Amino acid sequence: MAFVPVALLQTYSEVPMFVVRFLVRRLLQGALIVFLVSALIFTLLRVVPGDPVRLMAGGMAPEALIEKIALEMGLRDPIYQQFGRYIGGVAQGDLGQSFVRPANGAAVGGASFDDNTRAARAEVWDLIAQTAPMTLQLALLAMVFALIVAIPIGVAGGLRPGKWPDRLALYLSSVFISLPNFWLGIVLALLLSVKLNLLPAIGYNGFAYTILPALVLSVEIAPFIIRTLTVSVANVMGQNFIDIAAVRGLTRNQIIFRHALKNSAIPLLNLLGVQFSMLLGGVLVIEFIFDYPGLGRLTINAVMQRDFPLIQGIAIVTAAAFVLINIVVDLCATAIDPRLDY
Amino acid sequence: MALDNLRTAEALLSVRDLTVKAETDGTSRTILDGISFDLNPRQILSVIGESGSGKTVLARTLASWLPPPLRVTGGSVHFRGEDLIADPKFAKSLSGREIAYIGGNPAGALDPTMIVGAQLVEKLRAVRPDISKSDAHDKAIALLGAVKIPAPERRFHEYPFQYSGGMMQRAMIVDALISDPALLIADNITQPLDVTVAAQILKLMRELNSEFSTAILFICSSLPVACEAADEVMVLHEGKVVERQVPGELIARPQHAYTKDLIRELPTLWAEGKSEEAAPATRKQQAIMSVHGVAKHYETHGKSGRALVQAVRNVEFDVFPGDNFGIVGESGCGKSSLMRLLTGLERPDAGTIHFKGENVGQATPKRLRQLRRKFQLVLQDPYGSLPPQSSIGSILEEPLIIHKIGNRAERRERARAIMAEVGLPNNIYDRLPTGLSAGQRQRLNVGRAMILEPELLIMDETLSALDQTEQAKLLELFQRLQEEHGFTYIFISHDLTMVRQVCSRIAVMYLGETVEVAPNERLFFDPGHPYSRALLSAAPTLEKRRYSPEDCLLEGEPPSPIDLPKGCAFANRCPHAFDRCRMENPSLVLRGDHALAACFLND
Repeated sequence: MAFVPVALLQTYSEVPMFVVRFLVRRLLQGALIVFLVSALIFTLLRVVPGDPVRLMAGGMAPEALIEKIALEMGLRDPIYQQFGRYIGGVAQGDLGQSFVRPANGAAVGGASFDDNTRAARAEVWDLIAQTAPMTLQLALLAMVFALIVAIPIGVAGGLRPGKWPDRLALYLSSVFISLPNFWLGIVLALLLSVKLNLLPAIGYNGFAYTILPALVLSVEIAPFIIRTLTVSVANVMGQNFIDIAAVRGLTRNQIIFRHALKNSAIPLLNLLGVQFSMLLGGVLVIEFIFDYPGLGRLTINAVMQRDFPLIQGIAIVTAAAFVLINIVVDLCATAIDPRLDY
Repeated sequence: MALDNLRTAEALLSVRDLTVKAETDGTSRTILDGISFDLNPRQILSVIGESGSGKTVLARTLASWLPPPLRVTGGSVHFRGEDLIADPKFAKSLSGREIAYIGGNPAGALDPTMIVGAQLVEKLRAVRPDISKSDAHDKAIALLGAVKIPAPERRFHEYPFQYSGGMMQRAMIVDALISDPALLIADNITQPLDVTVAAQILKLMRELNSEFSTAILFICSSLPVACEAADEVMVLHEGKVVERQVPGELIARPQHAYTKDLIRELPTLWAEGKSEEAAPATRKQQAIMSVHGVAKHYETHGKSGRALVQAVRNVEFDVFPGDNFGIVGESGCGKSSLMRLLTGLERPDAGTIHFKGENVGQATPKRLRQLRRKFQLVLQDPYGSLPPQSSIGSILEEPLIIHKIGNRAERRERARAIMAEVGLPNNIYDRLPTGLSAGQRQRLNVGRAMILEPELLIMDETLSALDQTEQAKLLELFQRLQEEHGFTYIFISHDLTMVRQVCSRIAVMYLGETVEVAPNERLFFDPGHPYSRALLSAAPTLEKRRYSPEDCLLEGEPPSPIDLPKGCAFANRCPHAFDRCRMENPSLVLRGDHALAACFLND
């Protein structure tokens, strides 16, 4: 007599299955996205004017030599052939070699055309593998700083909408968001490094060098976190199950920490995913100002040197990181709220 | 009983001169005005009154849950001899433990991100920290079983969104009873539920009351429900207790004028002397709307993959000119999906819908728009269905503009005429609909629908957001308009008493199917389908029931439209089901006098 809807039974027993299916689907989608990104970048880079061989060989190299190098490197083949070759390599984990950078040292773009070190040009993968962890470290630290500041302020604002904590959250976000990062970077470097001599500012020679750029970045992203939290906490606190929890006999602490915060975490999680992707994708200005040896600085140099394989490699790696971060965020969100369905 | 009443010293709850006021910006409005009553242990006391009479404020005062502008300004509430008003801290410590509260909105009552069981355990351990986790777990499962939730072990681990409305209300009853409270405040708990589910919940409340010896304050707005639920009924009117009696006495000898009105205005289902509906429409005429074998399904994507929701299946009926055709059924039976098909908002996957001989389901969008001049829709929600930024005049004139009828002056004249006809004051032409009451908004909706002079009006739960008095006024209006303009109405509703009053023919829907189509009298006196009987048995009424719920309905809920059983969809709740019902699905069969039913029992 007891009727048991079959659909519920399935949902219940298939949770691990659902995760596997989710991962397979999302990874396939991600592969497609990465492929499209590389195709786009590849084509665009080949279409823009300027011959990279001229840059590599140097301004003084004879035309015949340039043609010879270009032919050797396959740069005169049709774009789809070049792309096919390239993507074949990518599939095997080979992102190609830098046009400009030698494996053993500093960039030598524009050196003499008979420079024999060119034979040992740097692997793009190695260049990225050296710099990406630095950016990851910077991004994580910035995120931690931002969360430390934003969570108490945002939650307090959301718990008392319209009262002073809410207004504090709003004013503080407005101030933070109106500070230009290059200006803040310079001011903080002047204040903390030059005047007070607390933190190192330029270059990288140990963990301490990450703190200052991370502080600047955290000021940039904290307002978004504060705002999102204030809105979502206030929204959750207005919901029926929170309202009624007190009558059910739960204490205020239980209501806030076990129910309200958990329910308001999902908008925050989505935001953090986007912010983190942006941080990884290149904190160009900050890394440039602090001469921080991360992906951002590598990107700037690669663009200025017209180092096509390097630009492509960075684009592919960051696209893949975007995809992975999004998958992780969505998986966490479903773990928090089982109603969500991606 | 009488003895108990004398010994008021032993009353569990003793309320004296309780006054609650709403205080905003210096002005003060009295919501509860000197309420006094006693509630004994194990007693069930119903509190009834119209909206605004202060029922919910009373419930929330007793639960120490009064929202800010409201404040207790006088009187006392003694619970086991202790004054809760004088000691709010003590009162708070009782809530959830000794005084439990169940609200009318089970859907949002629990945290959607946590399994139901964990929340029951959490609540029990919050009010009684001495109980161990495993004891609390066992108790929750035992109680889930006691409120007749099937497979409680498994349901314990499910999330709130996996519960239906009725299941969720049962879970909330468990949540309230799990701490063995002495007093349970049930605030409108059956109001959002379907009648058959509400009847089961009421039955359950009475059983639990005798089993757990909890006193219950049962607050509701329907007199029949209140009488059914309680040992005594207390009538609240404008913040005052106007009378308190046992149900039989209250109905037989109401003392206060308000109670008398309430009982007199209550529509009846079976009472004799019901005016025979205007001569049933002639069957020789062509049907104005003719629906045959209509089906519609929707695809959903769930975690277990794609699923097909069969919202509408096998719907069959004819509506003749001048008819008042009713479509009744509980939530999820496909009424609203059917409405979307009838009005051409969506196209059926199978079957045909003919409006005056023309197939609505296959008409071109352009032709459909022309056809819509002749059939119009009036929606349920008086608030969401009107654009808040347009003036009342322009809302009324918009259909004329869409169909390019008349010039500006003519349209204005027409709108004013319609306003007079549906009973809206002339001077609000330029105003926004913001200030209108729900009843006035529905008048405006009707006016907007009839400005195109349609022949068929489809009313989708048009009256269900209105109170009894307002409903009666609008029904009068509908009747007058019908006499003047010769409209045909299709009423889509869950409310049997309303359908009984107005409709000449009625179709009963269950899980997307029309299980019975019959003239009004026939359906109420000789229903041909067990589900129709079950609906009648559960309908809230003060009359002597022709059908008793015990004989008509088994415990349980409708199957999900995603996983329909092979045979008759009602078989799992039908007391008469036999083997054939579980194998094949019966189709509508004529049983004389234009009455059709889909049940093998009629063979």
